[in-house]
Amino acid sequence: MAHSPRKGSPARWAAVVLPPLCLGGLMAWTAGVFSPAAISPSHFMQRFQKAGALDRGFRRAHAKGMCATGWFDPTPEGRALSRSGIFKGEHLPVMGRFSLAPPLPYLPDNPAAARSLAMQIRSSTGDDWRMALVDAPLQVMRDIADAFAFFKTARLDPATNKPDPAAIRAYAAQRPWLKTAFEQAKSHKQASDLTNDTYNSLDSFILTDEAGKKTPVRWAAVAQEPFSPAEGSSANDKNYLFKRLVQTLDQRPLRWDIVATIAREGDPINDPSQPWDEADQKVTVGTVTFTKAYSEDESPCGPMVFDPTILPDGISTSDDPLLALRSSVYMKSYATRSAEHKTPSMVTPGDITHPTLTPDGKGQ
Amino acid sequence: MSFPQNTGHAAPFPRLSILLHWVMAALIIVMLFVGLFMAHNSTVHYASLFTLHRTVGFLLLLLVIVRLINRFTNHTPPLPNDLPAPMKLAAHLSHILLYGFMLALPLVGWAMLSAGGYPITLWGGCHIPSLMGFHPHLWGELRCLHSLLAYGLILLILAHIGAALLHGIIRRDGIMGSMLGR
Repeated sequence: MAHSPRKGSPARWAAVVLPPLCLGGLMAWTAGVFSPAAISPSHFMQRFQKAGALDRGFRRAHAKGMCATGWFDPTPEGRALSRSGIFKGEHLPVMGRFSLAPPLPYLPDNPAAARSLAMQIRSSTGDDWRMALVDAPLQVMRDIADAFAFFKTARLDPATNKPDPAAIRAYAAQRPWLKTAFEQAKSHKQASDLTNDTYNSLDSFILTDEAGKKTPVRWAAVAQEPFSPAEGSSANDKNYLFKRLVQTLDQRPLRWDIVATIAREGDPINDPSQPWDEADQKVTVGTVTFTKAYSEDESPCGPMVFDPTILPDGISTSDDPLLALRSSVYMKSYATRSAEHKTPSMVTPGDITHPTLTPDGKGQ
Repeated sequence: MSFPQNTGHAAPFPRLSILLHWVMAALIIVMLFVGLFMAHNSTVHYASLFTLHRTVGFLLLLLVIVRLINRFTNHTPPLPNDLPAPMKLAAHLSHILLYGFMLALPLVGWAMLSAGGYPITLWGGCHIPSLMGFHPHLWGELRCLHSLLAYGLILLILAHIGAALLHGIIRRDGIMGSMLGR
């Protein structure tokens, strides 16, 4: 410090130095410097890394994917539930991304991996509705603490390069409140393809109509293609799910109904691990039609973030804690991967133009 | 805490400058805490904090523009003559940096959300337009820059508080009092 002719006592110097030090300390504390055990988006990134995510420009979860474009047509029933510009009756463009849920961008297609469908629907007046749907029946976590513990169980065992099945069993055993979610996951019948699968919001949202009436809902993209069950992993082709989706889109458009399940009294809004009443009213609010496939390396859906809390007026988030978590963790993953140099996706532009399956033993 | 009487000769700042300084000081401190908390904690309040951050950030951008206009049009009291030249230089440089960071932080925040394809909704559902189209790589770079600027502004503010207290408590040259309206 520059020499001053009016030098103060130590007490005066303390009065100069301590206030900025205290403020700086408080800020460091807010940033978690003194409490490394607190859960942060960076800690989630570390867990995804240990579960096989790559720092080469890929999403840290739902890493392997492919894009599709098409349109959305709302129904009058959707318009009655939400005042959003999305439901005004216009035919709107949709950008979608089909993916496998694990953090592994080079995971060979297999019937065991959960699948997801993310979408962005935009209206001409600037409404932006993003969805991140998964084909699981219920979320196997109810809050942020569960989610953090859950992703620890996804850590790849260095010996087998697979998650340790005992870890997920222990996770489930310690959480009796997830009993139903795990039971439903176990009895869930996986579809043969991405084309005939049904994808769920898991989290709950609030629709608001013109009069301001609020309706809590969960929604799903329900395939119009007939369901057929997955029969083991017979295909030799590591991209068989995605190539079969491209082949079908080459022949005909594929449609999914967006079905809102309306909560009744007693349905838990803030807990995505709990089922709603089977008898709840289901309303088709619109239909998504996909017509064209792209590799995610040649479509804006590759880099795009499908943060399910990006919603137009007339649709809002519920107090489901996992929505807040998904928004913050998606943003962290999105910022990190966007600054990285990306290596090519496993579903290449060549797979889109020539979706020929590698023949398996049965010549299929 | 009461400060010693103003024994120096620095004239007080104009009323508007004092008002802008303290309103912005309070908002900036809140913004830095909200930003640090959002970035480093997983919280169920994320959406509301983020909406608050966007709204106050936009308000601060408007305020810093008003403040810059005020700075160039309104009178700024000169530094005392007996202030050593290096301290004068430090005072001028740090204020240029403070203004630069106060302007850059909300602009980079606005630009980064635009580049990332995030709709920018303020409290009450009001949308502000995007500054640019979808540029995911730029979003990644700007998001990083936004944090770096915030850490820089924190250091500047801590130094600014320390320097103000040095003037008020050790040198007692009236500089701190000039922003307290004395």
